[in-house]
Amino acid sequence: MSPLLTSTLCCGLLLSAGHAQQQSDFYVREEIPIPPGEVMELGSIALMPDQKIAVTTRRGDLWICTGAHGADLSKVSWSKFAEGLHEPFGMFWKDGWLYLTQRPEVTRIKDSDGDGRADTFETLNSDWGINGDYHEYAFGSDPDKNGDIWAVLCLTGSFHAHSPWRGWCVRITPQGEMIPTCSGIRSPGGIGFNADGDVFYTDNQGVWNGSSSLKWLKPGSFQGNPSGNIFYDQAKNMGPRPTEPNDKSRILAERQRIKEFVPPAVVLPHAKVGQSPTAIVADTTKGKFGPWEKQLYIGEQTKSELQRVCLEKVNGLYQGAVFHFLGGFEAGIVPARQAPDGTVFVGGTNRGWGSNGTKPFTFERVRWTGKTPFEIHTMSALKDGFELTFTEPVDPASAGNPASYAMDAWTYIYQAEYGSPEVDQATPTIAAATVSADGKKVRLKIDGLVQGHVHHLTAKGVKSTNGSPLWHPEAWYTLNEIPR
Amino acid sequence: MRQRLLPLSAALIAAAAAQDGGQLYTSYCSACHGPDGKGATGGAFPPLAGSPWVQGDPERAIKIVLHGLHGPIDVFGRTYNLEMPPQGAAIPDDQIAAILTQVRASWGNASPAVTTEMVKATRAANADRKTAWTAPELLKLHPLPVSAPPIAKLTSRIYHGDWTTLPDFSKLEARNIEEENDGLIDVSHGDREDLFALVWEGEIQAPESGTFTFRLDADDGARVLIHGKPVTEVSGIGPFGTNRAQNGSIDLSAGSHPIRIEYLEYMGQQDIALAMKGPGINGWRALSQKPVQPEKPTIMVAPTADRAVIYRNFIEGVSPRAIGFGFPGGVNLAYSADHLAPALIWTGEFIDGSRHWIERGQGNQAPAGQRVVKLASGRSLPPEARFRGYKLDSAGNPTFSSQLGKGFLLDAWKPGSSAELVRTLTLKDGATALEIPLADSLPTRLLAPGVWQLGDTLELRAEENTAIELRDGQAFLKLTNGQPVVLTYHWK
Repeated sequence: MSPLLTSTLCCGLLLSAGHAQQQSDFYVREEIPIPPGEVMELGSIALMPDQKIAVTTRRGDLWICTGAHGADLSKVSWSKFAEGLHEPFGMFWKDGWLYLTQRPEVTRIKDSDGDGRADTFETLNSDWGINGDYHEYAFGSDPDKNGDIWAVLCLTGSFHAHSPWRGWCVRITPQGEMIPTCSGIRSPGGIGFNADGDVFYTDNQGVWNGSSSLKWLKPGSFQGNPSGNIFYDQAKNMGPRPTEPNDKSRILAERQRIKEFVPPAVVLPHAKVGQSPTAIVADTTKGKFGPWEKQLYIGEQTKSELQRVCLEKVNGLYQGAVFHFLGGFEAGIVPARQAPDGTVFVGGTNRGWGSNGTKPFTFERVRWTGKTPFEIHTMSALKDGFELTFTEPVDPASAGNPASYAMDAWTYIYQAEYGSPEVDQATPTIAAATVSADGKKVRLKIDGLVQGHVHHLTAKGVKSTNGSPLWHPEAWYTLNEIPR
Repeated sequence: MRQRLLPLSAALIAAAAAQDGGQLYTSYCSACHGPDGKGATGGAFPPLAGSPWVQGDPERAIKIVLHGLHGPIDVFGRTYNLEMPPQGAAIPDDQIAAILTQVRASWGNASPAVTTEMVKATRAANADRKTAWTAPELLKLHPLPVSAPPIAKLTSRIYHGDWTTLPDFSKLEARNIEEENDGLIDVSHGDREDLFALVWEGEIQAPESGTFTFRLDADDGARVLIHGKPVTEVSGIGPFGTNRAQNGSIDLSAGSHPIRIEYLEYMGQQDIALAMKGPGINGWRALSQKPVQPEKPTIMVAPTADRAVIYRNFIEGVSPRAIGFGFPGGVNLAYSADHLAPALIWTGEFIDGSRHWIERGQGNQAPAGQRVVKLASGRSLPPEARFRGYKLDSAGNPTFSSQLGKGFLLDAWKPGSSAELVRTLTLKDGATALEIPLADSLPTRLLAPGVWQLGDTLELRAEENTAIELRDGQAFLKLTNGQPVVLTYHWK
């Protein structure tokens, strides 16, 4: 074959598949101008009345932005509302107050005299310990349906529990009481709710975390890192201290031994998907950001991405799949917030932890163009495989062919060492692929599902009815439970 | 047998290439070290391109990847204080070998491949290693490679004498002359620890023509001359590693240039460090055995003319819940929200934010100003008392609030006329009376009615009828509900 013929053939193939899907077809990512000269390493973002947006910086400033929803972002204006906060990671607006989770405490602040600057800083609770270690971060949630703020408290140096309640999730009630709620936390990067109001956080690869993951903060649960379990004697509501985990084990095995152990809902496989997962946003905008109602968006600091997660509850435990979604942000994403109009605001910082983004910090927004990418919408476990739901009807010939799919599976060593290689590799086989009558679903019959493993699906052969391949053909499903 | 003709090194590279080192580097390393090896975010992370740390003896880099690196590390004259997380439990030996092989052969690096066997051997030999390495530890075990002596034809001359400024060496006779073949100046070239001087001479290389900067630090005095022309000097007697370090610049053409460094040690500690930077040099090139202390950036946090500024972070001498206030007029306070008490007060500049605002922000930052006085090192209020935050007045002056049962202690601070802080304490609601220590860390004595001496530098003034009682040399204030007490802290 002559070189000329080869290139002609390639072009022909590309043309027949239509032009490759790219992010800008579906989502418009824009940098929001920040106050000149300011170092805006964002830690939290809150929505305020009149479409104003408050942000906090790691240096401890709180700025309010006007115009971040506007068509012309060059018109945004900023005013400094507060300074001297202690590295807040969590903020929301409620009834005239901004509530903050700062490193040492939960605080609410407001401007009482109307001069545009906060003058009242009320400490609601400061009962957890800090000892001066920079790694003792605190990430706080929005209020739950009882008005409680959930805070996840990073271990000292991300390894130890040298200060009270390190490695715990605590709830702060509206009355300012602190309730120990979950143990077993290592190094959180964000906390948030799913659409049903259950609380989740992201935890980073490290000791007792083979990979980063999204975890369900079921009250009373143990999340896997035993360092903070020394505080059980001060948490009467939590019952007795859980059984100590065995080192160099597997989570599935330790779940049988430790009844409080709730396994990660969705493992974000290290380096492939997650390296430093952060914010959690549940889309409840009823389709204003695409057809992802009730799904989660997860910030990824290292990769400067926003990833997408679908969750389901099987045999009482959350599990689900993670997909690559939006990328190319200018710095490592930490906070994220979705406005009722669907706009997603993200903030980023590269200080201390690098990212694929090249700027030291960023504040951006993403809006949907109204065009939906061809994607796997949902991946759900079946007792003998998985059901895939697509965002548009699939081409029955390609999607009904098992050879259009591939699957591999693995898990991680559950150990006191830092991280884990992928182990216990398995290759489940796609025995059959059955396309639904409306073309939106495919039922994959799979031989060799492995409970507890991450199941990595690639669906590179699947085409939509107009011949497009999937924008993101990969999914990683954490099979904690196989439906009965 | 054609394979036999394959050179051994090529075979090793081929073995390592079974794993895609470039792809693995992108996945695991590039977010911090940068796709171009120059350190991500404009060099905010340690560069690997040209770095001696990843070249030469492969064991140094293997150890860093396996077990991580903790604490400060100098690369090209810049100190980085980040954490390299250990990768040994996550990345298998063949992949580590592929990554390091890639790093050692990229971006101008030209060191031999790392094999899986080398990684395996290093892992086995350090199986008991539980903590990350530190830079000094690694340097001792695996010194950085030096390609050519940084100062060619380096000689040292020793002089003995009792000098506090650099003498006129032309009038002196050296006791000894040595050739220093490593081409790095070092204080150990002297033959004693006090009362001596050294003169080094040699040649430095300017890779390209342009302006070169020399950074010099010494205990005690030193100066650098190039072509006999003074470039920079650390004068007089004083310590190393402080702001005595000096920079000086000179234009040089590409090629060799004579350098002369004069140094004197009076008494006590001794040290010297010198580095150069300029066109064609990656960061700073060390000309001394001891690395130069990098220039310390400062980000001074300061009040405006009419409003106080707040700095909430870890402050040296204060418990972790420290809240700093810098007031106009150069008076400052660090309140402890753990102890519900003022911990430190000082005058002059407020605080330097650079420790906490660059990289990860480890450790405590000391006040930037002078006359730092520790007022309290322990708790002022009973264990059940809780911090309830603060309010700011229109000038940004705080009133801290502590809750005691149903009552509150309000503790308001503002600047006084000059070198003064004015504190107003009010007990409201709840208890009818409360006693608090005023300065648990300072001996206190009564000077005159309403005037007490706190430690050496501070005077405390209050209205004469204020219920301050001295017990065992310490002052206690008795507060009555609803009756504010005004105290003035005055630096003498």
